[in-house]
Amino acid sequence: MENKVLNIAWCYPDILNLHGDRGNIMALKRIGELLDLQVNIERIESYNQEIDFEKTDIMFFNAGELKVVKPIVQALEKQKNELTKYIENNKYIVVVGTTGAVFSKEVKMADGETFKGLGILDMDCVQRDAIYGNDILFRLVDDEEMQIVGNQIQIIDTILNSEIQLGNVEYGLGNGKVSEKTEGAKYKNVVFTNALGPVLVKNPWYTERIIKDAMKNKGIEINKNIEEEFELERESVEAIKKFISKKQ
Amino acid sequence: MKRIRFFIALIVGKVLVFLTRLVSKERGTNIPGAYSNKILKDFISQFKGIDYDKAIFITGTNGKSTTNNMIVHTLKSAGKTVATNLEGANLIGGIATALIKNSTLTGKVKTEIVCFEVDERSFERIHSYLPAKNICITNLQKDQVQRNGEPDYIYQKLKKVINKDMTLYLNNEEPRVKSFEDLAGKVVYYGVERNTESFEKNNFYDVTLPCPKCNEKIEFEYYNIENVGKFKCKNCDFQSKEEPDVYIKNVDFENNEFECNSEKYKVTYSEPFFIYNYALCIAICNNFGIKTDEIKKAFSTFKNIGGRLETIKYGKKEIKYIRMKQENPETLQSAFDYISRDSEHKIFMLGLEPVVDIDPHYTNTFYAWDCDIDTLENSNVDRYICFSDAIAYDSANRLIYAGIDKNKISILPTEEEEEILKELDKYECNNVYLITWLHGYEKLSKYIENKKEGGKNGE
Repeated sequence: MENKVLNIAWCYPDILNLHGDRGNIMALKRIGELLDLQVNIERIESYNQEIDFEKTDIMFFNAGELKVVKPIVQALEKQKNELTKYIENNKYIVVVGTTGAVFSKEVKMADGETFKGLGILDMDCVQRDAIYGNDILFRLVDDEEMQIVGNQIQIIDTILNSEIQLGNVEYGLGNGKVSEKTEGAKYKNVVFTNALGPVLVKNPWYTERIIKDAMKNKGIEINKNIEEEFELERESVEAIKKFISKKQ
Repeated sequence: MKRIRFFIALIVGKVLVFLTRLVSKERGTNIPGAYSNKILKDFISQFKGIDYDKAIFITGTNGKSTTNNMIVHTLKSAGKTVATNLEGANLIGGIATALIKNSTLTGKVKTEIVCFEVDERSFERIHSYLPAKNICITNLQKDQVQRNGEPDYIYQKLKKVINKDMTLYLNNEEPRVKSFEDLAGKVVYYGVERNTESFEKNNFYDVTLPCPKCNEKIEFEYYNIENVGKFKCKNCDFQSKEEPDVYIKNVDFENNEFECNSEKYKVTYSEPFFIYNYALCIAICNNFGIKTDEIKKAFSTFKNIGGRLETIKYGKKEIKYIRMKQENPETLQSAFDYISRDSEHKIFMLGLEPVVDIDPHYTNTFYAWDCDIDTLENSNVDRYICFSDAIAYDSANRLIYAGIDKNKISILPTEEEEEILKELDKYECNNVYLITWLHGYEKLSKYIENKKEGGKNGE
């Protein structure tokens, strides 16, 4: 049991708190425990708090207001070397909604201001003129079997500079360009998605995959099958897909 | 030329006020003004006789209508004449309609005071036409995200309007609105002292908000209502004042009483959020020279329009419906809290539904995740019934995550009244609470009424 520990850094919980996103952390805890892991969650409370990258397996950034993107970039810049090493070691970062801009190359605000992101994901972010809210349904690029359902409240659009999309949109907007139908972005195990409103609660199979992958990355193979635990979520997805099909 | 156009718009408006009154009182609150605005874009700026020093705008996420009702009731009962949009028509059409109703045929406003509830998104535009100098901002919270995105979106819009020529009335214990203090010429702070309904949050998953001034974490020592309480920023010196100008103390919820500046007030409503409305109302009345005795008298007779609790009789069962806005975690939480305060055995029906505000309609259950549901489980709920075509499972999952036994939850992926009531019939308990959208409640209520009528006819 001693080795079977999953360490999660819940980054800036109070600052990134927009759409009931704390549910994502509850989902990581629940599913980690279903997989017989000891789940440790550390709250990174302020910009000055140092993150222990060595000890962390998954860093989680929830959706926040656009105004906090810049201070988060500045905070992480202070530990950029360790962050880069963390990423190059295939460790997980999951980032949701507007906070994705933190990891982009450049952010362009509606008032004309432009500033640099951390430049980890090969994409630029542009503030929209009007907000867009809808359901979203997409399939992962690296696992077409896996369909993800969620919501989008889009304040910024994302322009991918290379083919790094996390998924392909089946319903909804995705990154912003309707014709491209790309959703989110992925570099190594840095995962960005526009799907918010506890996406890990709604898609526990994806949560399970992230956890198993993060554990594998530190040499622990988890084989336990917990599929039967997700009956409710499967029914939920079907009900939402039915609702979506009526809109199309 | 413009003046002629104004008169045409005014006459059209007055005729429409007359005609819509014949058809329906409710429709008459917005349509006449909306037509007049079509004829002349800056129609509302053309009225004469408005003293902007005596013009009050009430904006913010929650509590606008109630506070407006209360302020207008108090001012009127103290003998003032007031033009207002009491019926919640808070867009430009509603304000135009109120001015049409309260003006002469030449467009001169007949009242001493104008007091309007103003939609926060329309505030900038409306204020550019009617530069009121008394601005009340009740609170800025998450709300209607498909339109607003995030609270900062509205914050930035309001920030543009506030100037040194205004008096701002600010909730001392709500960080976002309190931070407007630097922008105004004069600020009147109002607040409520810690009381028996105040609470702390010390759980691992509890979250607050970024400081409106420096973006670091805001910490609350305690809350009087959701997201409102004694606070300070972890980083900068921004915090709630120890003694706001109007400070309600010694709230006695049982006897509907409180003290303010050493005076005792007897009131008609005493839910925690109402106490803030009283505080704001006292702040305004003090500045408008209303005597304490007159405020007291008005408070003792105040009746709110459109209460939040309605009851349907269904056989032996009493279904208590609590109004909430699903896209607003504070109202959802306060509905949960209301139910939790009843420790009798009960059935709780939760009908969160897709959001049908603007296109596209979508499924949003996120704000249930902002709410703390644990207290519900300790309040003797015998059965939970989650219903909705699209999101019954999602709603149930929120309850399960809060530790509620899944065997106590019925999940009905339907909005059919018959099926919902069939499920309800299975359980003996007669004390029933219902949270759903207003249209869902109205449909259910009508169905039950028809059923009763049908029963009678059949006899």
